[in-house]
Amino acid sequence: MSKFFSSPLLVFFSAIALRITFLLYGLWQDANSPLKYTDIDYYVFTDASRFITHGHSPYDRETYRYTPLLAWLLLPTTWSSTWFSFGKVLFAIGDIVAGWLIVLVLRRQGMVMSRSLGFASIWLLNPMVATISTRGSSEGLLGVLVVALLWAVLRKRIVLAGVLLGVGVHLKIYPFIYAPSIIWWLDDENLSPGRNEKVQKVQEGDLVSKANAFVNVARVKITVVSLATFMGLNTAMYVKYGWPFIQHTFLHHVTRIDHRHNFSPYNTLLYLNSSISGSSPFCIESLAFIPQLLLSAIVLPLLLAKKDLPSTMLAQTFAFVSFNKVCTSQYFLWYMVFLPFYLPTSSLLQRPYLGISAGVLWVATQGLWLQQGFNLEFLGQSTFVPGLWVSSLMFFLTNMWLLGIIVSDVGSKTSLKPTAES
Amino acid sequence: MRQRITFIQEPQNSLDPALLEVTNNFISTPSLYAAREDRVTFGLEELPQELYRVLKASHELHIRWVSQEPYVSIAPLVARLSPGLHVFYTPQRGSNNSAFLCPTLKKVFGEMDCRSPERSFTPLPNERFSLSAASQYYTPLPALSSLITYATHRLCSSKLQKCISRMQSFSHASTLDVDFDTISHALTITAFWAASIQSFHIGGMTHRDRLEVGVLSINQATEPEELSLGGFLTVVGEDKKPKATMFSFPARHHPFASSFAARWLQSTGLHPVLGLEIDDSTRPTDERACSLHTHLTLPRTVFADKYQLSDSLVLASKNLSAIHYSTPAVDLEAPAYTLKTWGSSVLLELAPPSSPGESFTAQIPLHLRFLPPSNGTAGIAKIELPYPVVFWACVADEGSKFPINPFDKVNLGYDGLFGPKTMFYHLIPQGEKLVNTINVPVLDLDQSRYVEMGTAATVVLGFGWVLWCLLGVWKRNGYGSNSNKEREKVVVVDKKEQ
Repeated sequence: MSKFFSSPLLVFFSAIALRITFLLYGLWQDANSPLKYTDIDYYVFTDASRFITHGHSPYDRETYRYTPLLAWLLLPTTWSSTWFSFGKVLFAIGDIVAGWLIVLVLRRQGMVMSRSLGFASIWLLNPMVATISTRGSSEGLLGVLVVALLWAVLRKRIVLAGVLLGVGVHLKIYPFIYAPSIIWWLDDENLSPGRNEKVQKVQEGDLVSKANAFVNVARVKITVVSLATFMGLNTAMYVKYGWPFIQHTFLHHVTRIDHRHNFSPYNTLLYLNSSISGSSPFCIESLAFIPQLLLSAIVLPLLLAKKDLPSTMLAQTFAFVSFNKVCTSQYFLWYMVFLPFYLPTSSLLQRPYLGISAGVLWVATQGLWLQQGFNLEFLGQSTFVPGLWVSSLMFFLTNMWLLGIIVSDVGSKTSLKPTAES
Repeated sequence: MRQRITFIQEPQNSLDPALLEVTNNFISTPSLYAAREDRVTFGLEELPQELYRVLKASHELHIRWVSQEPYVSIAPLVARLSPGLHVFYTPQRGSNNSAFLCPTLKKVFGEMDCRSPERSFTPLPNERFSLSAASQYYTPLPALSSLITYATHRLCSSKLQKCISRMQSFSHASTLDVDFDTISHALTITAFWAASIQSFHIGGMTHRDRLEVGVLSINQATEPEELSLGGFLTVVGEDKKPKATMFSFPARHHPFASSFAARWLQSTGLHPVLGLEIDDSTRPTDERACSLHTHLTLPRTVFADKYQLSDSLVLASKNLSAIHYSTPAVDLEAPAYTLKTWGSSVLLELAPPSSPGESFTAQIPLHLRFLPPSNGTAGIAKIELPYPVVFWACVADEGSKFPINPFDKVNLGYDGLFGPKTMFYHLIPQGEKLVNTINVPVLDLDQSRYVEMGTAATVVLGFGWVLWCLLGVWKRNGYGSNSNKEREKVVVVDKKEQ
């Protein structure tokens, strides 16, 4: 086994082979079964691309709720039926690149190659990741984007990082939570390790000099570049596609009342309250964003980012997804991409009993929910309460327990400095 | 006001004209076995103010009601629709006065979820010369009791017993049509009663009112596009005795011998499958291109996914061949109670087996929306889906046209989706009631008392736990990096090395 992980060639070859197998199997299933391997969203993207080639707006395709960039990116899928799979190949390549960047980041933190490859395999050789991207879901694309963002920040490629951040937020909104942690991390200590006296001086200085020191070149640069990228893309898309772009890409996600059952702890409450118009003046669900944003965009970055940026990003994403008003299993991919950075020093691995019970709880509460969901969706049983409700709350509490472990682990961590500038 | 009363009989039941009693001002028939159609035409000035106001703002208004009770149709009155109340409407150009339509519909037909044509109606494809109105609305309506009450009070001015009993007779009508368009500038109400034994006496007409009574039976037509009728017509007050008549006309709608039943193949869960069991795959004619279709009227609680129905493998596995039309912009995610439009209609082409005479079942995959939570029903809501209509659509001969015939029916929701030269052969729906019921799981309010508090408490607990862990981190290590102490050591080492 250790021999397998000591060879990058072998690991990446396996990762690629896994995806090619899934892709080919998907083609076979789609051609031979009325039950499709391809994700419904992929038909939405490719339909939208077809609308564009005919000179229409991608928003003419119902349920297209993404930036036109995505439909443009998939324009080759309209060339022929062979090219139809272009998007899946692109997403799968995105997976591989993300895996490669994970290895780079881990190596930079001083980890030996075989260990880096082993942890990167959590992403690279994960069948769930390979399935999601080869089915044509765009979540994998987000994975490569945010890992690239992390890599660029750690390598201090500030302009590149700004562009990636701007594109990421334009694409899927949620990566905005990384902005505070990255900006907070970009202090003089991290920017130029070794120049210690200045750091010491600032720590002893007054508020004004602290504020002065906070506003450094890198922070200003990444803020300006990411905002310019984000707003530039938005303006361009708005000019070309007008209000539907704003409506479907952004407002839809804010105003959506999608009560079809999902993992979110708020799901049953949303269903209950949406149908009773104005029953209670105090709506808990409209306050839901407070714990979500307070944790993922403010407290976690502030307390943890300087200690370990990659693991902080994991904690932020985990908090964001767990507290979200809509949560499906595709969202789990958002944080899974950061697991290789956190796990090596995590108490979940150092204390196997803790790790195993965490894994079992995470799977079991999800399984309970899925079973209740199946009884509702296919057997027609009214399992909303207590079944789905209680199991979603149990899943939430499991996630919170896990988040507590992650927070404590990251909080007590000594930040690993790059061993060599190579 | 003009009235036309037509009795239609099978040839073997034909009435001897000598038994018709006609005087100056009176007509009466003996007991006869016949289906009956009444058509009453009102001038706009004869109508109550509230109806006049609605029609003035309408370019076209067609209301079609069909009973849930199965009935036997008879040529030429064979066109079918799903049971319930259908409204096809085109507003007057430049008029923004459609606001009266929904309140008036409610007043006449009873309570329904109709806010305004802009919000509750869905658009129909209408090209410049198309037959169909611009928009569509549907609501289930099992009975006409509300209409009968309304009509008795507003139309039977002098409380005549005759008028009242005439209105009461709507209670066992099988279909009712209300038609208005600006060109004719008149409102026509047409009711149809399936065949039964009945007799008829009417008289005491005033000069202004015209009454025409026909007793007709079906003859063998010479051309396949045509229907032929023969019998007697009498204009009461003008004719001293029944006038014999015989006429043929090319007809859009034709009767057809095969029948179908609609049943749930899978009725549990949120993705039910409706089965259309068709007893005979024989085509109406071999001389023309014919294809078998079903037109579904789906209230907003149910929808068909047109993207799912666009895949050839999915279609083939369900004995379907293509989706030709679906109401545009059907939301595939929204719960039923957030939608304003009535629902959607779908036209599907079926794939019958190629050999004639076989029975087969087409499967129509449907999806349920989330419905409002309920109490006292153990988390189950019942919804009703009206039977779809099933028909063969055949292309008529080049050059054959369908001039307006006295029994023609247009604006049925699906006829506008075909070319003007299409003939429809209607399959007979079989079933005790022409609706299918399905149980939909909903949130049970009786068990939901603690949902709000429970969710809030859990979120606060989880949030609090994470904050507690963060507080511990802050107390131990602050907000900065943990490496300062290490770094100091490194610096010391560096200095030593220097």
